[in-house]
Amino acid sequence: MYEGKHLTNKRINDDLLSSLTKSSLVYWAIVGTLGLVVLAATVAVAFMINKGLGVTGLNRPVMWGFFITNFVFWIGISHAGVMLSAILRLSKAEWRRPATRAAEVLTIFSLMTAVLMPLIHSGRPWRLVYWVMFPYDFQRGIWMDIRSPLVWDPAAVNTYLTSSILFVFVALIPDIAIIRDRSSGIKKIVYSVLSLGWRGTTRQWKFQAIAGILLSALILPVFVSVHSIVSWDFGMAIAVKSWHSTIFAPYFVIGAVHSGVSGVVSVMIFMRWLFGWQNYVRHEHIDALGRLLLVIAIAWFYFLLMEFFFGIYGQEGDELATRHMQLLEPPWQWFFIVFIITAFLFPVPMWLFRRVRRNLWLMLITTISVNIGMWLERLLIIVPGLARKQVFSGTWYTYAPSAIEITIIGGTFAMVLMLFLLFAKIFPLIPLFDIKEGQVLQDKIKVGKIEVPAVIRED
Amino acid sequence: MTDYKDKIQTSVTGDELSANIVTNDVARTFLAHRRGSPVILFILGLIFLGGVIAFASRAMDGFDSSHRAEWGYFAALFAFLLSAAGSAPLFAVAFRMTANHWRRPFARISELYAMVGLLTLACLIPLLVLLPPIGDCSTGPCRKTLWFTSEYWGVPTFWDFAGLLGLIVCGIALLLVSALPDIAQMSALSESKDRPLLGKLTKFWTGSQSQWHIHRISLSLLGGFYFILLIGVQTIINVDFVMSLVPGWKDSILPAHQALTGIQAGVASVVIIAFIARTFGGYKKYFPMESFWSISKILLALSLLWAYFWFAEVNTLWYGRMPVEQNILKLVMFESYRLPFALNFLMSFLLPFLILLWNPIRKSVLGPTVASILIVLGSFFMMIRLYVPAFGIQDVTAFQITYVPAAIYPNFIDLLMIAGGLSGAALIYLLSIRIIPILSLWEIKEGLLYQRVRPFLRGEYQVLGKPK
Repeated sequence: MYEGKHLTNKRINDDLLSSLTKSSLVYWAIVGTLGLVVLAATVAVAFMINKGLGVTGLNRPVMWGFFITNFVFWIGISHAGVMLSAILRLSKAEWRRPATRAAEVLTIFSLMTAVLMPLIHSGRPWRLVYWVMFPYDFQRGIWMDIRSPLVWDPAAVNTYLTSSILFVFVALIPDIAIIRDRSSGIKKIVYSVLSLGWRGTTRQWKFQAIAGILLSALILPVFVSVHSIVSWDFGMAIAVKSWHSTIFAPYFVIGAVHSGVSGVVSVMIFMRWLFGWQNYVRHEHIDALGRLLLVIAIAWFYFLLMEFFFGIYGQEGDELATRHMQLLEPPWQWFFIVFIITAFLFPVPMWLFRRVRRNLWLMLITTISVNIGMWLERLLIIVPGLARKQVFSGTWYTYAPSAIEITIIGGTFAMVLMLFLLFAKIFPLIPLFDIKEGQVLQDKIKVGKIEVPAVIRED
Repeated sequence: MTDYKDKIQTSVTGDELSANIVTNDVARTFLAHRRGSPVILFILGLIFLGGVIAFASRAMDGFDSSHRAEWGYFAALFAFLLSAAGSAPLFAVAFRMTANHWRRPFARISELYAMVGLLTLACLIPLLVLLPPIGDCSTGPCRKTLWFTSEYWGVPTFWDFAGLLGLIVCGIALLLVSALPDIAQMSALSESKDRPLLGKLTKFWTGSQSQWHIHRISLSLLGGFYFILLIGVQTIINVDFVMSLVPGWKDSILPAHQALTGIQAGVASVVIIAFIARTFGGYKKYFPMESFWSISKILLALSLLWAYFWFAEVNTLWYGRMPVEQNILKLVMFESYRLPFALNFLMSFLLPFLILLWNPIRKSVLGPTVASILIVLGSFFMMIRLYVPAFGIQDVTAFQITYVPAAIYPNFIDLLMIAGGLSGAALIYLLSIRIIPILSLWEIKEGLLYQRVRPFLRGEYQVLGKPK
């Protein structure tokens, strides 16, 4: 934006492509460690498939546990990509530039991880073939129920994944062309194919810009629909009263944005540290994201209050029992306390202060804190809701995850981060052309004795 | 050396402006308007009086909770005023926080709507009398509310009143603080007979650096409070006057939907006044097409958001097939009040969406104005389809509604009350602009400091300063 020094195009290319060309020991140590965790999770999945879902803590009536919580969480994280990229691009927010690519890539990897969760949760992933192509049960000719949100879900998630990949790819083309021009051998061939003959002509730039704007506008409804449909997996069910809430769709979407933008901030600060991008990911960008987070968090809190108050508004037995479990029964009450502190009470008052928003360590801590809270939020929606869905039942089973589930969940976090780092070895995580464009549009205006940073408006 | 006040900036539209030109323009039109338009004021006053008489006549027929059904349209009027006029100041608050330059000519128009709050408050008082008691579920019949019990003092009437009063005080404070530098300037420029009132209001304002600093902080704080209060008040009013009067209606998105409809109508109300000021008020150069273009994108986004909230509500209620939820949908949307619902849907979403979808229409003055008129009307029909049926339910302590009540149609008295209320709102707004300039002088002048037109590549472009 404004606080950084003016850099030459060559310097920008060198700096931002350094993640592709140079490999530090720290980088490989991190990737290796993450790889080990992913391997452990893969072994856990294999074990679970071999032995059956009995090795998890799932049992009647809590048939959705850590896996579905994790599914909702990663879907939520994926919302940051479009939030930052599409909305900020359409609104021409200058500070979006270094954040967009990382956000979009985070979207793709978190969506891919999210898609895995229901498959793992099913216990028999090969049955995907039945769900997608053939009747659910050949003998009786039972087809999947297209009226069920559980069927809308994969359609929405896959549409979002496809459009996000397209979105990232279109924005990547000019940068791929730069890598192509700097590489040789097999790498040059691969990048040449990927760059689709990009030469940087005026016509190509025009198409690229139009495609970016069109995709931004088209992807927005998809972005909203995905988490809305995820929320309807829960909200449509009248059997679980605490889920049957009309506010669930926007509540899930705003919660996803809260969690996703926090995730992007964490990742940006991590990238800055790992790749030495101090000239690109600057305090002013984190400050701007902090202000955005402040607004999002307050809106999310309003929806949380509405969801909670209307939960007890009806004063129905199963609803009250669910809230009782969330607020007064250990360990759920401790989860609730941790959730509310980490997702709101701790970070939001801190973000009010500019000094905090410009302190990278504090921003890293607060944004990680938000995601701890948001993960717990999903757990608190799912498990107590199921555990207390039958008000007159004498067997109120409560859920405790097994080591297998914990390992698999840990593996998903490692996988997203590992894929993210591996992506940085193949493509730049900060869009080169966007940064250069930002510099071209920078100007200064003299007001009295001081110079005020300014920006040239293209329209 | 040219003083900065005389330094002429040329906008991309070719209009030449300087601080002095702005001051003279506004002072000339402001002082002229203070003497003008008595005919309009008289007509509005007359209609308002008709509304007051209609109100008195309805009150004489019966004024307690058993006559609640007769007051449904009055409640809808109140909710409309709260939504549209109450939310309008949020426009200035939000875009001042995000430092959008194009907001500057619109800011005061939006803040002036805070004065209409006085009428909204006056409308609330009789409605509080009409609210049925909450009751005590442990000893007898009761109705469900967000307050849960009537044991607490002042529940719900005092808190509804206090909330709205707080909102209005905050809104008027926001208006006065924002207008202070302009009132001081107008006071200095006006004739001697006008000076006592304006001078008293602003005698301490000297425009020192510390005063401007306090001014900026006050605007931020008041803006923040206003936002929180508005959402809170919309929520409790919606629950107390709609949902809790319909047994079995549990709809967590509805208060947020009303708040959103209010914000949408608030932005639209600002556009309508801006259009009038531009076309008939002699302020054409202050409202360039680019500003309307920017607002039209927000109107488009709000229309889509309105549809999203509506769909989230309908989809969840309809899908479950629970009898009580089906009855409620039939009541407020698909059977009894299907006409106001159809008009609401068309005007709050479909027509504005279809109009604003096209860039050439968005990039005009008339397009966003037409969409705004539709949106304001749409929000009024929404209040009708929510408040009139809710006030029509007699047995509010039932477990749930087991039938779909018939629609209540407005009669002449209702129409007169509505016309009177709307005229009263317009009257208050017009009287307010006799004291406070409709353009935010200091903001426009500040904006001039941060705008330049400079050559860039092969054309001339606007360069906008972005102070921290």
